[in-house]
Amino acid sequence: MPTAEKEPITIALAGNANVGKSVIFNYFTGLHQHIGNWPGKTVEKAEGTLHFKGRTIDVLDLPGIYSLSAFSIEERISREYIAIEKPDVVINIVDASALERNLFFTLQLLELETPMIVALNQVDVAEGKGITIHVPELQKFLDIPVISTIATRGTGLDKLLNKAVKVAKSKKLARPARYGREIEEKIRRVTKLVEKIPIKYPPRWVAIKLLEGDEEIRKIVGRIDPKLVSSAERHARDLERIHGEPCSIIITAERYNVANKIARKSQRITPPRGPSLTERLDAVTTHPIMGYPILIGVMLLVLFTVFTVGGYLSGFFEDVMEPIQGAFGGGAGELIGGGLLGGLIAGVAIVLPFILPFYLILTFLEDSGYLPRAAFMTDSLMHHMGIHGKAFIPFILGYGCNVPACLGCRVMETERERTIAAFVVTLVPCAAVTVVVLGLVGAFVGIHWALALYLLNLVIIFILGRVAFKVLPGESMGLIMEMPPYRKPHARSVLKETWMRVKDFVYIAFPLIIIGSVVLTGLKVGGLLEPIGNALSPITVGWLGLPAITGVMLIFGILRKELTLVMLATLMGTANFATVLTPTQMIVFAIVVMYYIPCIATIAALVKELRWKKAAYITVFEIAFALLLGGIAFRLLTLA
Amino acid sequence: MITESVEEYLEAIYRLRERGEAATTTSVAKELRVAPASVTEMLKKLANQGYLKYAPYRGVTLIPKGEKIGKKILRKHRIMEKFLSTLGLPKSRIHKDACELEHHIPDDLERAIHQKVEGEKPLPSGAPSNVVPLTSLLDRQKGVISFIGGGRGASQRLADLGLTPHTEITVVKSALFHGPLMISVRGTTLAIGRGVAARVFVRVK
Ligand SMILES: Nc1nc2c(ncn2[C@@H]2O[C@H](COP(=O)(O)OP(=O)(O)OP(=O)(O)O)[C@@H](O)[C@H]2O)c(=O)[nH]1
Repeated sequence: MPTAEKEPITIALAGNANVGKSVIFNYFTGLHQHIGNWPGKTVEKAEGTLHFKGRTIDVLDLPGIYSLSAFSIEERISREYIAIEKPDVVINIVDASALERNLFFTLQLLELETPMIVALNQVDVAEGKGITIHVPELQKFLDIPVISTIATRGTGLDKLLNKAVKVAKSKKLARPARYGREIEEKIRRVTKLVEKIPIKYPPRWVAIKLLEGDEEIRKIVGRIDPKLVSSAERHARDLERIHGEPCSIIITAERYNVANKIARKSQRITPPRGPSLTERLDAVTTHPIMGYPILIGVMLLVLFTVFTVGGYLSGFFEDVMEPIQGAFGGGAGELIGGGLLGGLIAGVAIVLPFILPFYLILTFLEDSGYLPRAAFMTDSLMHHMGIHGKAFIPFILGYGCNVPACLGCRVMETERERTIAAFVVTLVPCAAVTVVVLGLVGAFVGIHWALALYLLNLVIIFILGRVAFKVLPGESMGLIMEMPPYRKPHARSVLKETWMRVKDFVYIAFPLIIIGSVVLTGLKVGGLLEPIGNALSPITVGWLGLPAITGVMLIFGILRKELTLVMLATLMGTANFATVLTPTQMIVFAIVVMYYIPCIATIAALVKELRWKKAAYITVFEIAFALLLGGIAFRLLTLA
Repeated sequence: MITESVEEYLEAIYRLRERGEAATTTSVAKELRVAPASVTEMLKKLANQGYLKYAPYRGVTLIPKGEKIGKKILRKHRIMEKFLSTLGLPKSRIHKDACELEHHIPDDLERAIHQKVEGEKPLPSGAPSNVVPLTSLLDRQKGVISFIGGGRGASQRLADLGLTPHTEITVVKSALFHGPLMISVRGTTLAIGRGVAARVFVRVK
């Protein structure tokens, strides 16, 4: 008998940063949200669907937050979503190893009175810390279902989904927890008033937000009934008089009291004997002195590994693929052989070898939990640029790709910090630039020259960052960041994550490389290369001392920076660049490519994060700066 | 007799030092919202009177005589702020009035008010107030949060992460070069910048 199509369901995943939301999201949807061991990866809500027992389920991954106070963009996104769009069920993912802090957020979700269940995740980590949680007890206090899970192993996730669907169908609303008598009394009085006005949020929640002095809710309520806002304010004053703290702090403290009580009653802690892995590693990696050589060592190791492995793979691929290309020649054959295949080969031989080891190491680092430590160590250095240690994480990600790094700058709290961080990040040589620097300068001039370019880059970033700090108005907030525990990176997840990243890269980059290659060969066959090259030659030849043809490369590089080198290889029919460029030209070329423009995708990310004006300023500045620096380098190098 | 303006200056310099910032003519001028020219003048005078060492372009360092006064005035300021806020006055008033009162409160009255607002047993007379910024704790030292100063944004963020009044907090370690502090609170580990930490006041255990 055919059954009618069942109602679709929307599930929202909410919780603190770094609790495992994305792991669970990926498990449910088969999609691929970025996973790593540092707080603040998910900056925007992600959506996916799955089919479960003949039902379509929409799953939403919300950004990780600690509160619903609407001080940050993420908090506002999450609270608007849950309160206004009302998912059918909220799965609150809780880190069992930090129960009290996580329950503080759970209590705020309960205030929103939506159908809800708790996933008690990372119970394995909790056990490692000697924490066992009595699930029925916790369930009793919260009055909603609690399922314990280990997301990375998939344990408990099917049960979680089953339960979530059941709760969604029952439409049973969660009930907010009760707070201390004095506060409850005030909440009750204000709630009574709120119940009289038409508003789409739960009245008790609105009352609490009014007492807390929440700007947004005050504005909304103020439009309907300004008197209500002022009488809530009077009640808030009463509380402040008793406690001697701002009312929002009083309520926050009260939630923590309740969270503490629940946590104490539902967990048992037997402190493990001896220091944990995290403590032992932290003793050295954040050691006031030893920490720094370790940090520098890690970064150098990354560069050298990428260089040696990349160099080896590059030679290997070239030997394999060279003979294939030789089979084509002349006329239309040239378009296919030189353009299509040439692009493909250049992509495989030049780009992949460096991208592959790089992403592998980056993913490994991200998963280990080292990045927050690096942020800790570099905080005071970052302060000289008006940003704080957390910016170091997008900074490191920038070496992979500037695009997620720019988006990642949202971990910064104020507009000014975000602007400086995004600007600094676009100056970081991404993997595509690394291809050019290592594949050209590293391979043909010497690795010490490549290293020098990276060092120079760091110095320049520091100087420009400092200048930006001095000229930009606004305020800086300072570092406030959670330190997640170290984790033994899970071989399978690291490989999978790396594979996904490389795949993404190939999907986006290769079509462009191949199309670019074909267009370029077309231009060559059509005899258009020279006019374009000549038009740009006052800059390329006159000012930078490069061959005229590089002008065309630099234009292609706007699409993607590795194209500059790949196109050169396609055009020359060889990856032995020593035959076309002198060492000085290689260095100058690499410098220009390093700074001259954020690629199209990065510009788009900048526009998204900082809007048109700032993105345009940054782009124009960087082009001018690259040309200036390239010209100076050319003159200095020919002098020597 | 020390004038109010001397006290204001020493307090400002002490405050800068506590935040880990260099006390230069510019930063002191900014802190006090006065013209740099008059600051230079005053700093020279203070140096002559033996409150601090002054090196043109490099800034000033407090020497014990000046440091003692700066510290005391700042402490009085904070106690008064706390006291005034229990009266339910608006924030804007609190700061202004505390700036005024800090110069006129005798030491014993300060102690009495301190006991009142902190709800502590009376301190033996002459004992220093044991409420200090987090930055002055040593590694592995514990404290109980008394209050968090500074803007609403930062203090709410800290509260959201579990740093609420009366919570126990341990400094795990602090980085060099005026770097951040690693602290442990409510079973989690956090990193907070020195500037932020200077606004968290704790009672030392
Ligand atoms: N041992 C263990 N590790 C877990 C578990 N769940 C997640 N992790 C790890 O925790 C880290 C964070 O997981 P994510 O899913 O990226 O966290 P998130 O909640 O999406 O984080 P944000 O996007 O920053 O809010 C990753 O390193 C995961 O591998 C678990 O149950 N056990």
